[in-house]
Amino acid sequence: MFGKILIANRGEIAVRVIKACREMGIGSVAVYSEVDAAGLHVRLADEAVPVGPPPAAESYLDMDRILEAARVTGAEAIHPGYGFLSENAAFARLCEERGVVFIGPNSKALELVGDKVRARQTMEKAGIPTVPGMTSVSTSLEEFRAAARALGYPVMVKASAGGGGKGMRIVCDEDGLVPALEAGRREAKSAFGDDSVYLEKYIEEPRHVEFQVLADNRGHTVHLSERECSIQRRHQKIVEETPSPALDPELRARMGETAVRAMRAAGYNNAGTVEFLLDKDRHFYFLEVNARIQVEHPVTELTTGVDLVRQQILIASGADLSLRQEDLLPRGHAIECRIYAEDPKTNFLPSPGRIAFLREPKGPGIRFDSGVYEGFEVPVYYDPILAKLIVWAEDREAALRRMSAALDDCVILGIHTTAGFLKDVVDHPEFRAGRATTSFIGKFFPSWGRGDGEEDRERLALAAVAYEALARTSGPKGWPGRDRKKDRATPWTTLGRWRAGGET
Amino acid sequence: MDDFGPLAGGGRDMSVAVFDFLLDGNPRKISVETRDGIFVAREGERVLEAEVRRITANELQFRFGGRSVRVYLARDGERTFVSVDGREFAVSESRPEIGRPGEGDEKTAETSFRVRSPMPGKVTKIAVVEGEEVRKNQTLVIVEAMKMENEIKTAIDGVVKKIHVAVGDLVDSERPLIEVEKKSPSP
Repeated sequence: MFGKILIANRGEIAVRVIKACREMGIGSVAVYSEVDAAGLHVRLADEAVPVGPPPAAESYLDMDRILEAARVTGAEAIHPGYGFLSENAAFARLCEERGVVFIGPNSKALELVGDKVRARQTMEKAGIPTVPGMTSVSTSLEEFRAAARALGYPVMVKASAGGGGKGMRIVCDEDGLVPALEAGRREAKSAFGDDSVYLEKYIEEPRHVEFQVLADNRGHTVHLSERECSIQRRHQKIVEETPSPALDPELRARMGETAVRAMRAAGYNNAGTVEFLLDKDRHFYFLEVNARIQVEHPVTELTTGVDLVRQQILIASGADLSLRQEDLLPRGHAIECRIYAEDPKTNFLPSPGRIAFLREPKGPGIRFDSGVYEGFEVPVYYDPILAKLIVWAEDREAALRRMSAALDDCVILGIHTTAGFLKDVVDHPEFRAGRATTSFIGKFFPSWGRGDGEEDRERLALAAVAYEALARTSGPKGWPGRDRKKDRATPWTTLGRWRAGGET
Repeated sequence: MDDFGPLAGGGRDMSVAVFDFLLDGNPRKISVETRDGIFVAREGERVLEAEVRRITANELQFRFGGRSVRVYLARDGERTFVSVDGREFAVSESRPEIGRPGEGDEKTAETSFRVRSPMPGKVTKIAVVEGEEVRKNQTLVIVEAMKMENEIKTAIDGVVKKIHVAVGDLVDSERPLIEVEKKSPSP
């Protein structure tokens, strides 16, 4: 087993991996950019190494700096988390060359599945159904035009190195093609350092169902059932659950077996996910392999009882996978909500800034994987994910209720977050009925604002601020009045006989 | 929560404090008082009567109508952030000079518009040059924050008068990015 692991990431996933290292008795090395010196991952790791300026391209994506940090600290392995270098085959290869273990698939498999176009070709050869699309990337506008015409609009621009919705654009007609290609390229370049894009037929109202797979270095491969990830905004998953309300045991077995076959065809090892689109007629299509630990991995952990990050580390260290397919019987129901620093009231504009107050939800069946703390300044440079709220309960209905209550209990003040919006999503009758497809958000939440009871909530908020203002100025007992204002003429300074109510 | 009943009759008012607040930018007037240890808050016709208890420096408990609601507060400069039932609000005292930042375009005069970024971020592309004629909804600047591109557009037909930023600049919602001058009507 490794003595020390470097975590080439930040935020909640870096924290997650550091905690796994600690449990396994492995030393942890954090890396951080200039704006992340006070990051939670830096605070928790045994050691921390600065790797450059704020832009990811000059820090978290700088392979030489990351490898140098591993060298100087003597880390034997690098866990890339998700995003950043996690699916970068050149980085995996560089690690192999320098004798550092990359905790993920081998560079050849990573290269294959990371190239969405080659991955499709491989899957087609292995007899796995795929979404119709271009079989090669192109830079020629004429080729894109011809391909789009052949596929028939609407088509989807996808980044060849893609993931997380970055670089993706739906194109409804030929006029929209050029701007979509341009935007897709620019976004892909900034997110992955590679601007190649291709086109796929856009399947309308599909469900997004993915299978978690684990494979050891000797090819023993199992799947850990599915995750339903149909609730998406801007092609980015925001709510995930397992099991999927759309699958029955027969379909689950068939898709799981296909996922294992896909990973074998790719020569894949370590943890990975096979994504499928499931259409209205329950046909499924291979979409892509996510060659990394995924954001939504905790729901699988809660229902299968398997610690996926620990398994990743064990496999990377050369251990044989001890899990057998027939033993992997999921239990109960798990849901995850991603809490982002975005303002749902202004069409989800990013909301970086200082977290003035944080209260993490707690309780039976509640897990909160967070990368932030009270007082932390959320930077503008990186993904807006702050934390993930994950719940487990015996069945879907109980899990939905638990999630709804836990979202009420999750308090992040000072910046805008998606928590309130997510509560409306999980409370929505269509979602509760298990009928949501990838068009759910666009259809039922084209915008979001004041819902039922909002006026009363607002009024209670105002009453609370008024109560505080009075407590501060008249300061009855024990209230220090942190931000006491100077003697400004305010209406409430005259209230000498104010007393705090409700001491019963 | 339907515990804000209509204004109840009777009960002589004691000292009442009146607050002019901005809630998420919108003006709201609320008056509060205590009556026999009960906290009474009133906005227009709506009244809340509750027992209020402090739990921690950031947490109050409101009890009314058989319900207990925890309200969380955090002060940050002029603003107080409040969470009620998982919803967040920003409340500040209403003062004339407090505007509404982040609303994008601002009319400086009848003839020119200052375009701002609706959120903090980094300028990744400037799509126009000074002196260029632009049409309503044309993209002027692309600002990226948290890896999401946001196209900032002009709300009017006009001419780009001044570009205040360069690619790579960090911007916030206060600083104008570009000024667009309304085209003088052709004679």
